[in-house]
Amino acid sequence: MADVMAPPRRRLPKMGDTTISLGLSVLVLLALAVFFVVPVIAILWRSFDTGAGYGLGNYVAALSDPRIWELVVNSLAVSGLSAFCAVTLAYFYAYALQRTHVVWKSALRMVVMLPLFAPSLIQAQGLIFLLGRNGIFNRFLGFDIEIYGFWGVAIANTLYTFPYAFLILSAALAVADARLYEGAIVMGARPFKIFRTVTLASTKFGIAAALFVAFSLSITDFGNAIVIGGNFDVLATEIYSKVIGQAQFHLGAVIGVILLVPAALSKLIVERISKKQHSQVTDKSVALQIRPNRKRDWLFGTYAGLIVGVFLSVPLIVVFASLVKLWPYNMSFTLQHYRFDVQNGTAPLWNSIGVAMATAFFGVIAVFAASIVTLKFRTPLSGPISFLATLPASIPGMVLGLGYVLAFNSLSNPLNFLYGTFPLIILLYIYYNHAQGYLITATSLKQISSTFDEASTMLGGSALRTLFKVTLPLLWPTLLGVGVFFFMRAMVSLSAVIFLITPQTQVAAVSVLQLADRGATNQAAAFSVCIMGIVILMLLLVRTVLWAAGARGVTLIR
Amino acid sequence: MKFQTASITAALMLTTQAYAGEITIYTSYEEDEAAAFLDLAREAMPDVEMNMLRLSTGDLAARIIAEQGNPQHDVIWGFAASTIVNPEIEKTLEPYAPEGIEGIPAAFKSADDKWFAVTGYMAAFCVNNERLKDKGLEMPTSWADLTDPAFKGEVVMPNPASSGTGYIQISSILQMMGEEDGWALLDDLDENVAQYIKSGSKPCHAASAGEYIVGASYDMRAIKNIAEGYPITMVIPSEGSGNELEANALVASSDNKEDAKRFLDWTITPEAATAYGKWKAIVTMPGGEKPQQFLDAGLPKDTSDVLHPTDFKAAADDRTAIIEEWQKRYEN
Repeated sequence: MADVMAPPRRRLPKMGDTTISLGLSVLVLLALAVFFVVPVIAILWRSFDTGAGYGLGNYVAALSDPRIWELVVNSLAVSGLSAFCAVTLAYFYAYALQRTHVVWKSALRMVVMLPLFAPSLIQAQGLIFLLGRNGIFNRFLGFDIEIYGFWGVAIANTLYTFPYAFLILSAALAVADARLYEGAIVMGARPFKIFRTVTLASTKFGIAAALFVAFSLSITDFGNAIVIGGNFDVLATEIYSKVIGQAQFHLGAVIGVILLVPAALSKLIVERISKKQHSQVTDKSVALQIRPNRKRDWLFGTYAGLIVGVFLSVPLIVVFASLVKLWPYNMSFTLQHYRFDVQNGTAPLWNSIGVAMATAFFGVIAVFAASIVTLKFRTPLSGPISFLATLPASIPGMVLGLGYVLAFNSLSNPLNFLYGTFPLIILLYIYYNHAQGYLITATSLKQISSTFDEASTMLGGSALRTLFKVTLPLLWPTLLGVGVFFFMRAMVSLSAVIFLITPQTQVAAVSVLQLADRGATNQAAAFSVCIMGIVILMLLLVRTVLWAAGARGVTLIR
Repeated sequence: MKFQTASITAALMLTTQAYAGEITIYTSYEEDEAAAFLDLAREAMPDVEMNMLRLSTGDLAARIIAEQGNPQHDVIWGFAASTIVNPEIEKTLEPYAPEGIEGIPAAFKSADDKWFAVTGYMAAFCVNNERLKDKGLEMPTSWADLTDPAFKGEVVMPNPASSGTGYIQISSILQMMGEEDGWALLDDLDENVAQYIKSGSKPCHAASAGEYIVGASYDMRAIKNIAEGYPITMVIPSEGSGNELEANALVASSDNKEDAKRFLDWTITPEAATAYGKWKAIVTMPGGEKPQQFLDAGLPKDTSDVLHPTDFKAAADDRTAIIEEWQKRYEN
């Protein structure tokens, strides 16, 4: 991706810069190797373990089984559909926020992030509360909806990937050069043509990146498919059956490798789509002023309202379920579910807050460094780094989690001392979510023209000086948003961390799983409400700090 | 609160390195049971620092196998017998016969002393009373009843490929009825099954939530959901109920075997047996009365009347073949 993303290099960098660029690139690559590549290889090489030596036997067996091909088709169909829906819906939503005068923008931004605020387990449960055979629609409103199966998974995955697509697309639509629009208007282009030739064309990279992320997240997610898929199986649930159901790592690993193929293909396609994306903010840019247009604002306002309704319904039903005695039989109000009797009580919540803050801080540094070395400091390592930086999106959490165990629990690993500690959990969260963080940052960074860098370099600024004096000041609102994103992910992700927790390092999402496992659905909902509350509080807190610091125009979620 | 302070202190130390007087226990007992048992164990052995990690059977099995190069635990406690015999897990165990092991019948322990089981669970249906009444159906009492076309689309079962509970249900039907009749029954059942859910407890939760009439699950899940207040009835299939044992074992790599063995000794004391009786429908050693709540839910006083004597060895040996055949018949 890097080679097509990067602007052509117009002059040779100075000697000192090369050292810094190379040094930082090596550092980024090393970290990706140690905390991503090694664990993934540690688990995936097992796919060659046939029980009688190493070979391709498992692959031959798997690929000659017609069942696998059916799963491939299922996976591609459901992930393709939900990626398409999520990106389309998110694009117009982001458009409404960035290019029209709809009201209550901050609230609109917050609401569609809600799926990131609670463990996906509880969101799927919320969807069943709403649309299940005994859910609100069927039980109280007289509908006859059957949610389990292909459509259920497609809906759940669309909701689940929408916020990621929105974050990327919103970053892409945030900046625009008014001159292009004026030119188009002067030439007499109609609004739709302007949208197609200017807006869509200038956000190609964002669209491609959003499609890639949404598709990869859907195809690697097994949580929604397990809860709501019924008998509709996909590749990710097959890994779950092999590894968790039958303890056959080698067969699970084969499917883990197969899962990399569509992900890698989608990445290639994305690269083609995003070719020749130009920077949006150059030294000559004129910031786009959004013209008043009542009709347009009404149209997009209604659309945003509909989306908000959908995104509010699931968390609201979860909050409601946490406050009633026994959903759906006894709807009398109670606070009893907030008296948590799960092991360790609320301690995991506090652990998670610390872990999530550290993840946010170090996660931002990691993806910022990765974006800089791939987009601004061109070195021979830029290509491999850009490839590795987005690869984590194609690895199911369960696979990466087990890979961490295999890699870091081994006594021959010099980093073995990290095993069983919070720092390793933090590293897992950073690299598990690396692709999304990197793509949001890169999308933003791409909008900033390299002419700024060149001007700075020509004026005698070193690469580092340009970075701190030019790039960071333009990019920091995005980085703040990425930090918030990492924070949210570390509060709620479950599938990978389940293999790293120890009696001493319990995290909040696992408590939700324990409660749901033992049938205390209402209490699990209550615990999730606490997690959601913490995330919202954190957002408000950061907002207040920013406001107090005088940065009033900055939004945390772009 | 006590746990909380302990866990925060421990968390601050950021380490799991075991020292003398400390043991790490891996368990798949349900979270509330495990906490209750552990409280008692701590009382009985106040000088031993006990760290417990609770994960579901499948997650814990994957964890143990992934950690086998450098195991972090000293003891396995309450872990499915059909999974503990997995060669990759069994090879990490060390034979140990705790004091008083003679009290446990031979069927509930391994011949080479690698594991013994004090508790277990058996297959049971959760039947949603409300939904049953709405559809005007009779309370089913057996697997055969569930093949009645009236139940079409109203039965959910665990998927044996991803759930141990699901596997014991299938394997016990095949063991009880023989291959031919067993598969014939499963074929008929498949006509009515709406979903093969990928967990052993979720079918009961789905029936409890009123999503389906019948969820094939296991005894304690039904009893606990009744206690939560869900309008369900527990039915133990009249053909006989397949069962799973929850095994305890000593981990060969433990660096504190002395305390680990003391812990295992404690798990078969009469005191522990009494505690198990309050939480478990199957206790393999004498002692402990069944709580009234269990009997009210429909559990017989003597569960051996309804249990099918499972051949665990055969169940484990045939696992891959049976799951393959099952997938061929009922998936896709």
